[in-house]
Amino acid sequence: MELELDGLHRRYGTVTALDGLTFGVPAGQVFGFLGPNGAGKTTTMRAIFGVASLDAGEIRWRGKPVDERARRTFGYMPEERGLYPSMRLLEQVEYFARLHDMPASAARAAARHWIGRLGLAGREDARIDTLSHGNQQRAQLAVALVHDPELLVLDEPFSGLDPGGVDDMSGILAERAAAGVTVLFSSHQLDLVEDICEAVAIIHHGRLVASGPVADLERGERPRLAVRVAGDADGAWAREAGADLGEIEAVRPDGTVLISLTKGADSQRILDLARAAGLVEHFTFEARRLSEVFRQVTGASVGQAEAEHAAKTALSTAGATR
Amino acid sequence: MTWLVAGRELLTRGRTRVFAISTVVLVLAVALGVALPAILSRNAKPERVGIVGGSTATLTGIATEAGRLAGVQVIVVPEPDVATAEARLRSGDLSVVLVNGREVVVKQVPIGGASSAGGTLPGALAQLAGLAKLFAEVPGAAAAAANGIALPVRGLEPPSGSLANRLTGLFTVVLVWVLISVYGSQIAMGIGEEKSSRVVEVLLSSVRPVQLLIGKVLGIGLLALAQTAAMVAAFIVAGFAAGSSLVHGAAIGIVVTGGVFIVLGYAFYCTAYAAAGSLVSRQSDVNSVIFPVQIPLILAYALSYTVIYSNGANTFYHVLGFLPPTAPVAMPVLYAAGDAPVWQVVVSAVLCAVGTIWMARVATGIYTRSILRTGARIPLRQALRREPAEAR
Repeated sequence: MELELDGLHRRYGTVTALDGLTFGVPAGQVFGFLGPNGAGKTTTMRAIFGVASLDAGEIRWRGKPVDERARRTFGYMPEERGLYPSMRLLEQVEYFARLHDMPASAARAAARHWIGRLGLAGREDARIDTLSHGNQQRAQLAVALVHDPELLVLDEPFSGLDPGGVDDMSGILAERAAAGVTVLFSSHQLDLVEDICEAVAIIHHGRLVASGPVADLERGERPRLAVRVAGDADGAWAREAGADLGEIEAVRPDGTVLISLTKGADSQRILDLARAAGLVEHFTFEARRLSEVFRQVTGASVGQAEAEHAAKTALSTAGATR
Repeated sequence: MTWLVAGRELLTRGRTRVFAISTVVLVLAVALGVALPAILSRNAKPERVGIVGGSTATLTGIATEAGRLAGVQVIVVPEPDVATAEARLRSGDLSVVLVNGREVVVKQVPIGGASSAGGTLPGALAQLAGLAKLFAEVPGAAAAAANGIALPVRGLEPPSGSLANRLTGLFTVVLVWVLISVYGSQIAMGIGEEKSSRVVEVLLSSVRPVQLLIGKVLGIGLLALAQTAAMVAAFIVAGFAAGSSLVHGAAIGIVVTGGVFIVLGYAFYCTAYAAAGSLVSRQSDVNSVIFPVQIPLILAYALSYTVIYSNGANTFYHVLGFLPPTAPVAMPVLYAAGDAPVWQVVVSAVLCAVGTIWMARVATGIYTRSILRTGARIPLRQALRREPAEAR
């Protein structure tokens, strides 16, 4: 593991942001750091760069605690985007390259390269505040990439992007990962990014609740079978078949029964049972969505978790002003 | 790292139109301020005094002596009668008319009445002519009065500081005041910009807060220094060119003192302004947080005029000369007015340097704790605490 986060703890007053968070990020993969808003993702990413302090825990890069020198080999796109509004694009990107120890001439060349690569060629002398919102996002990404970082940390890079922008962004992340860079990005839109990353860490209340390759998480320990029998809108055949075919997770409105295959359950036997009930229209193994994985392990949907967080924040803010 | 930050400040601010225009305006203002009085006094026209009746020789003597007392040159113009003289007074041909033994006529009595105008030409005329009338019974008394009645004034001690020195001191004070308030608020605004645009989080991912702070005050400080140098050069060049007494009479010690305290003043205040700027999240709130920082400067600046134009500073102002927040303004004035010897200047400068170090430590602490906190303005008491409750 290139980047290791080990037992991170952080409390803000009565709110626990991080509660023993531990996971590792390997090189050469696009790694998703997922969870609802308020789960502690931003605090974690800020802690990697030392802009948020930790009560306990350690962050290591290639086996050593992260220090100032290591951080200059990292690239960062914070959740709250920000560039100097009145500075010109090329100068700004170049300036950040130089702050990451690049010599002047290399910094200028790299700035030009990334500005071109991100489709901003011709806007080198434009002030940042004259760029469109989308182009400001690209400029922000250029700042994170310009010094060819060994670790790329992007906080919610897909928020506010149109579908074309999502494709561009995921293309760049995949390209960086292929070049051997350790890529860590966060998102609260679990289903939007499940096709983009190879592995994920999912957190809730500042704790890791699931992690691993996306394919493993989607299959789960118990594969899921989706079966529909013509004319049976309630999935009555499955209920009659009883427990020996597995565990019924849900019945979709069109009558598709989702069956979680328990140990020893046999998919072929299920097929036989379905055929006995009528014409089998649909019979397939189905991947779980990451949002379902989240619901399974936490008992709450991402939306419920975010609503709960919003209510708690409002309460603590009201308490603070009283 | 620090120099990169400083370089960015220099580059982005130095080439703005605001900087170019303000430099030109300041340089012109200084040049005009120095050269104009000198040019105007050289071209001052003599005053034309009309006299009516009496002995022309005696009245001419009185008018000439009155001119000497009032510090102006006079040309005496005999007039046939009061009506003609008044007509010429109205037309602006004459500035004052002396009617022998009766009155002094001017176009308009100055505000405060004629009696308060002792130092002016009509006032001096009125007093001298009145004396002459009083002595009229004594033969020759009027003529004697006309030949000079004022006794010489002897001082037991030499004057504490020449006017030229005092005015140079005043120039220094204005410079300190303008530089600190203009560039200080630029520091605060710049930090407000970094905070409100949120660029600070990207910056702090590779730069330490202290490096960011020092780079900023250094870069802006170098700009301030460049502008000061331009203003001082304008002061000297314009002064010599116009033959102003400000340059010729000013002692080198006053210039050196001024330079030292300009640097010390900037050093003391720059970190304070930075700390103030780090407390707000919106640039529009910057002005309200920097006001308290400016209060000592405003106080010392306002009081400095009383010292420049009087002999002997009061104890209160003398105390201000030793307090680090007010010393950069007060001490150059005290020294220029001759109210503080060199050893006091040195003590004050050392105190100010110590105060600067103290201020830098407190201010960097406030800055470091506040720079990443967004939302409402941070109360100073919270920013001073070592472990503040962070938002989020």
